Amino acid sequence: MSEAQALRPVERLPGEVIDAAIGWAVKLDYGGPSEPQLHQAFEAWLVADPRHLTAWQRVGSLKGDFAKLPAQLASQTLQAAAMSRPTHRRREALKLLSIAGLGLSTAWVLLEHRPWQHLLADAGTAVGQRHLLRLSDGSVLALNTDSAVSADLRGTRRLLTLHRGEVLVTTGADENALARREFWLQTPFGRMQALGTRFVVRLYKDRARVSVLEGAVALYAADGGSTAVVQAGESRWLGARTTEAVLAHGFEDDAWAEGVIAGKNIRLDDLLAELSRYRRGRIDCDARVAGLRLSGVFHVDDSDRTLEFLAKTQPIRLRYLSRFWVMVGPQ
Amino acid sequence: MTTAEVSSPQGVHTLYSDHHRWLQGWLRRKLGNAFDAADLAQDVFVRVLARQQPLQIEQPRSYLSTVARGLVIDHWRRRELEQAWLETLAQMPESQAPCPESRLAFLQSLIEIDRMLDALKPAVRSAFLWAQLDGLSCPQIAERLGVSLATAERYVAKALRRCYEVRFES
Repeated sequence: MSEAQALRPVERLPGEVIDAAIGWAVKLDYGGPSEPQLHQAFEAWLVADPRHLTAWQRVGSLKGDFAKLPAQLASQTLQAAAMSRPTHRRREALKLLSIAGLGLSTAWVLLEHRPWQHLLADAGTAVGQRHLLRLSDGSVLALNTDSAVSADLRGTRRLLTLHRGEVLVTTGADENALARREFWLQTPFGRMQALGTRFVVRLYKDRARVSVLEGAVALYAADGGSTAVVQAGESRWLGARTTEAVLAHGFEDDAWAEGVIAGKNIRLDDLLAELSRYRRGRIDCDARVAGLRLSGVFHVDDSDRTLEFLAKTQPIRLRYLSRFWVMVGPQ
Repeated sequence: MTTAEVSSPQGVHTLYSDHHRWLQGWLRRKLGNAFDAADLAQDVFVRVLARQQPLQIEQPRSYLSTVARGLVIDHWRRRELEQAWLETLAQMPESQAPCPESRLAFLQSLIEIDRMLDALKPAVRSAFLWAQLDGLSCPQIAERLGVSLATAERYVAKALRRCYEVRFES
């Protein structure tokens, strides 16, 4: 804001006058070479009403805000910042969902919300699907793409087994039981006990990653030796023999529950690897662009659009070898 | 469900003592960082205090987290911009980069511009930046975006209108 503007009260102009002034600016200042007739018409407009001149001067002054900046640096910075954030609408959507006070999106609940029988049950998702399940003890499970779980709530403890993929668990109050029973989750690499909580478990080839959002989770490696307690805000690897802290990787571990990949300063190849979990087919990333860094929120439900978006905003090019095989390389 | 009457500094004080710790915890989970969480929690209450009209809050925590969420998004946006700025700067030949003394002022201006343009669609934003900072004409922008000249002109006009509103009508 310039000082001159701050000193005198600003007269409000009618919207159509402002739009007309902007229309002229677009033609004359931001257009290509223009015809003499255009200039004559402009001058006629300018003198037709004193407010036209005011509007024209104001629109012209907007340029001043930008003229002081080092153009190249400013342009690249602003473009780069924007491309690290996919769509505003997505962000708004995320904001709204959370305002609704729900840990999980309402759209989701409508998508899949079937009551589970309290006996042994199995559930799974295919690639690209996500399901939300409510257990008879009040626990809610969100299953990510390509995942499978089974639950056994008959015994004196509640037991959930993750066979494949990734699950977000919000443990329930277990109100129908005489006393609240322990909640255990079993993986091929060991088991864990939830201590009143919300947490994400994801299986990898040789270990599981446990990220605690609320409460705490106690880990027990399969061979009995190693234990650890993971607190809210922390993540830990659970291997068959040991547990170890997860190094910062930039991703938000539970963003998928809102249908997105969210991360800060993540590598392009890591982002593409994440994205490919939600799509059939493969994405290959050329080593020359693998190390590009991005931040933002990326759709998982329409991964083609997300790829297109990346191609528009990053110095990369997509080559579709087939519908299911895309190569991401430098421009 | 609790209701908080926030029509006075006392009301805010009660709101603060009842929910400050909770809010800070909530923010720490969002941001993964206790320092930023403490700062933003403070900002949330400053915002609440700055409100002109009295406020009857049905669910204080949901209200506070709504305010906080806006600030968190702002915070991230700012971080993203700073990151982009540092990366751009690093790729620039030393001779073309602005002197260290003026950098902070430039960055501050960019943060303001970024916020101003935030409501715009990415294509509109890009078109405008190309026009305003890179000196591209509307026909060139149309070609670059693969849209008609009329669309490119509409994009630039839309962004100018947004700048006008922020500058003269807010």
